Amino acid sequence: MQKLDRRWIYIVVALAIIIPLMIPYDSDNVTTPPTENLYQMIDSFAGREDRAILMSFYHDAATMPELFPMEVAILRHAFERNVKVFTLTWMPAGAPIIEYAINTVKEEFPDIQSGVDYCNFGYKPQPFALVLGMGDNIANTMNTDAEGRKLENLPIMRGINNYSEMNLVVEFSGSVAGATWITYARPKYGLNVAVGVTAVMAADLYPYLQSGQLVGMLSGLKGAAEYEKLVDVFAAYRDPARDYSITHDEDGNRILPGRPFGREILEDESTRKLIRITTQTEAEFTLDQFAAFTAKHPEHIPLLNRLGEVREEKMVIDLDQVTPEIREEMGEALYQELYRLTGDTLYKFKVARIGMNAQSVAHIMIIVFIILGNIGYFIQKARAAKN
Amino acid sequence: MKKTIPLLIVILGGLIWVAWAFSPHYVLQEVFYNQFYLPWVYAMSSFAMLLGVLSLSMMHSAKIKRKAPKWQYSYFFFASFVITCLAGFIGGTQKGGLFMWMFENVQMPMSATMFSLLAFYMASAAYKAFRARSPEATVLLIAAIVVMLAQVPLGMQISRHLPTFSQWILDVPNLASKRGIMLGVGLGSVATSLKILLGIERSYLGGGD
Repeated sequence: MQKLDRRWIYIVVALAIIIPLMIPYDSDNVTTPPTENLYQMIDSFAGREDRAILMSFYHDAATMPELFPMEVAILRHAFERNVKVFTLTWMPAGAPIIEYAINTVKEEFPDIQSGVDYCNFGYKPQPFALVLGMGDNIANTMNTDAEGRKLENLPIMRGINNYSEMNLVVEFSGSVAGATWITYARPKYGLNVAVGVTAVMAADLYPYLQSGQLVGMLSGLKGAAEYEKLVDVFAAYRDPARDYSITHDEDGNRILPGRPFGREILEDESTRKLIRITTQTEAEFTLDQFAAFTAKHPEHIPLLNRLGEVREEKMVIDLDQVTPEIREEMGEALYQELYRLTGDTLYKFKVARIGMNAQSVAHIMIIVFIILGNIGYFIQKARAAKN
Repeated sequence: MKKTIPLLIVILGGLIWVAWAFSPHYVLQEVFYNQFYLPWVYAMSSFAMLLGVLSLSMMHSAKIKRKAPKWQYSYFFFASFVITCLAGFIGGTQKGGLFMWMFENVQMPMSATMFSLLAFYMASAAYKAFRARSPEATVLLIAAIVVMLAQVPLGMQISRHLPTFSQWILDVPNLASKRGIMLGVGLGSVATSLKILLGIERSYLGGGD
């Protein structure tokens, strides 16, 4: 047993990872306080002109499997909830990762504009100098964005001067690079710092988390999976009864899509449908919700009634029944609204959760290997003692 | 003289930075930092990049000339360097161009593959080397199993207390040791910096006294 060829181990590990990746199944990634705190901090900036987050991509392509889903999840959260986002990298290899991350998320948000909703500073050398410089004035320190536009002319800079407004930085890295912000920007300017790190680096950053120097931390694929779940449950949530074309209330206050974080919502049974990662095609309504939903679309009431099916006191519309002709008849806006209500998640927004399934199996395999290895070791030891 | 002047430069440079960090004076914060240091930093970083490219090219050229072991791979360096540069300079680095295509379809999967090999080595090491040889090793082994299980959704299904126990391991014993290491490293850095500033530590100048 002790002389097992390691290639057998490699084959077992490969299968343990590949099969769950190819056949996703629903599992619940319980969220932890470091992830929830970061989510809530970003969410508290929703819709505010005078608040923004900075995402620092301090890594290359090698650590993307763990860090990229985090970046996508946070960008999605920001775009869903109208949070201003700035991005930068201290590594030349990080520049295409920013482009890739923004493009990946932006495809689903046609209204989001560069220079208005987000701004990419691109690659900037000498982090130490810029970390401090931005504390005084961001536009003077950075000068231009990645496209060469003067920062002071960009609409996103309205209300954003320094760390008092761009009040949260999230550093993504496969190292303890987040400590630079803690050492230089937090004590001097009161900047809130959070990190997204590879799982192996998480233990090194726990002291900062416990001391409160880090407001939150996403550790490895698990952190990314937790954040994806929070975005699905809160930021991407749409109330079937609400009309989202109304963007301001009677007092002129901005109404944002999604809903604020709430622990009781996470524990609610109805949330289960929102966190499924298998393909979903059925939009479910209570009868009251369905009445309110159809009231928003009076011209399509006959069509919606035709598509709806009452099941256990709920109205269900199965999008599998929607043929291209029906889709054309209902219009793309209504179709997309129904699609969102199915709770289905695009692959790019559930990558980490699918990965966590594979990681579950891989962890179990590794534990089995440890146990088998130790059994073999003790048998060998007992035999040696006997001889 | 060969060592005194560099020593004086280091001491003076160090003292300026100490003064800058502790004093909010206009001359240090504005004149030194914003007007002098920042522009120089930008200029220096471009040269540093150039230096890196030159150094790497010289190393690979020498490897090819000497026919050093695996010298053929050095041609791949030059080929990929030239192709990537041309793709970036001519087509730009935006989505839709060759540069981004190569990033998404060549660099990203290759780098991720290299990183993912870690899982295979870990599994192999878990089987071949992770042994309960002593009480300490047994504690480490049990802690590793608990943390590994608690990290995945399956752990929660085994027991609702597992994540709590795992968090305790991370928050208490792990933090205690981490803090000890960090404090030691921090105090060591302060001591070394002071020794350099005072001219006691000179080994960075190279050579013997």
